[in-house]
Amino acid sequence: MIRLLVPLSLAAVAALVLGGGWLAPYDPTSTAGAPWQPPNPAHLLGTDALGRDVWSRVLAGGGRLLTVSVAAALCASALGIAGGLVAGWSGGPLARLLTACADFLLALPSLLLALVAAIALPWQTAVVVATVCGGAPLTLRVVRDAVRTIRTSGYVEAALLRGETTASVLLREVFPAMRGLVSADLGLRLVVAIQVCAALGVLGLGATPPAPDWALMLRENMTGVATNPWAVAAPAIALGATTVLFALAAQLSFHEHEDRRPNRAGQEEKPHA
Amino acid sequence: MFGPETAPATALPHPRRAAAGDSFLFALARAVLLLALVSAAVFTATELLPGDAADLRASAGADEEQIRHLRQELGLDTEPWRRYLDWVSALLTGDLGTSLVNGRPVADTLAQRLPATLALVAGALAFAAPASLALAWWAGTTRRGRRISTAVLTGGAAVPMAVTAAALAALFSGALGLVPPVSLLPPGASPWHHPDLLFLPVLSMALPTAFFGASLLAGAVADTVRLPHVADARRRGVPSWQIALVDVLPFLLAPFVRVTAVVAGGLIAAAAVVETLFGYPGVGSLLVSAISSRDLPVVQATAVLAAAVVLAGLLLGDLVAALTEPARGRTA
Repeated sequence: MIRLLVPLSLAAVAALVLGGGWLAPYDPTSTAGAPWQPPNPAHLLGTDALGRDVWSRVLAGGGRLLTVSVAAALCASALGIAGGLVAGWSGGPLARLLTACADFLLALPSLLLALVAAIALPWQTAVVVATVCGGAPLTLRVVRDAVRTIRTSGYVEAALLRGETTASVLLREVFPAMRGLVSADLGLRLVVAIQVCAALGVLGLGATPPAPDWALMLRENMTGVATNPWAVAAPAIALGATTVLFALAAQLSFHEHEDRRPNRAGQEEKPHA
Repeated sequence: MFGPETAPATALPHPRRAAAGDSFLFALARAVLLLALVSAAVFTATELLPGDAADLRASAGADEEQIRHLRQELGLDTEPWRRYLDWVSALLTGDLGTSLVNGRPVADTLAQRLPATLALVAGALAFAAPASLALAWWAGTTRRGRRISTAVLTGGAAVPMAVTAAALAALFSGALGLVPPVSLLPPGASPWHHPDLLFLPVLSMALPTAFFGASLLAGAVADTVRLPHVADARRRGVPSWQIALVDVLPFLLAPFVRVTAVVAGGLIAAAAVVETLFGYPGVGSLLVSAISSRDLPVVQATAVLAAAVVLAGLLLGDLVAALTEPARGRTA
């Protein structure tokens, strides 16, 4: 049931976010009525300070935010996986160096990194930089530990003894075995990327007005929260629901990976060392 | 970052096997090195901006010659590394520079705004730390429906803080009209004298933080209740409150301190979002407005100060955790 529900709702969110602009009853960037109207039949969620239709802006407001977040999450995940494969497979000083670098970056909050990056870089790049610096180290550690376990398993040793090259073993034997883990991890990177994106948008360092953008809407409509609470609540719900859905999908993917793992009971969790 | 079952192994500074003193020295060296890196990154980021302080400060009709003169006066014609060293040594001696926008010393502005931010962070921590322990206890000790409790923590931690803030504002000041939607603190006033202004910002910071902290702690709780001595105490029929107090809590103290330190670091950064959203005059909103107005001395000093506070918090957490960690190796 849940296994069907989560992918379906993910697909629905993706379709709505990417195609929502076409469903919008009004132009999301132009005035459609008097400012700060409460919800009424003509405007489902009322209007904002400039009299723009809030429902139309909510429909159109997720595309850019989500595109940037997905790109940032993919970058962080790819770098982390690459580092984790190298660190887990090779061991030795290279692994220690990679792990030390990763540990090092983890101490700083992603948002602070994003703010520093936003001084000089465009906000999209700042989101990517912060997500990579804050997320790739976590991916690296997860992947490294998984690779270490898989490396000593029978089928990998068999493949090595068959004389297959390292690249082909990594690609054909190791990577498929941690698919669930990697997709779960990608989901978590995406959640953090959306959080950073949302923070920059709310701070006025993200999308520029009059673009419809959920985070920017939160910022713009705070002044009218007493007259039309829906102008703030609607983008907040959209942004929050999307993020929570991705996090839950990641959790589910992680559980499936755990369930598939052989002799689970025998493998005690490793001490956090 | 939010996967409760992977989190304790990945997101937390892990306990070291070496003696507490060694590990503290290591952590100290790491913090100092990181701070140096952050200052270099901040300096590089401000260097990358088109135009420099001379362009920004020159009056509207200034010609090339005047700008060149001003640049010389400000010492901008020397190599970047020399300027970086000058800036760092000035920072170390407490000279934070003057704002390009209002000409006031940055140190004054920071000193005026720091208490407001600390009040926010302290308030949020006072609520979030016990709440995260309670949530983690619930998630770590439920036998049935473990996945549901994990999902609640993961979902709660995933909600962006801006969303929590906006939703709380829409509820409490929009729909219910209980508190003002903006927290404009009069300049110089103590934040503690205006609890109604603190309510929304503190709650918006505390809620997601409680879930995030709990998702980091839940694994430690689950591990601890599975320890042999806990099962043994249960078999001996020790009352469960006594087991919780005597057999479980002491083992959670060290992870709890570490999680609190990590979470407090996040709160310092998150203050930027909440302060800006509610118009609360703190260090976070200062950093954001300085970034928007390209007020470089303020940006540099504030960003480095924020990083220093985060790293000092982590260091303190490491130290306290090292001192409170039950020595499992010694007794086993």
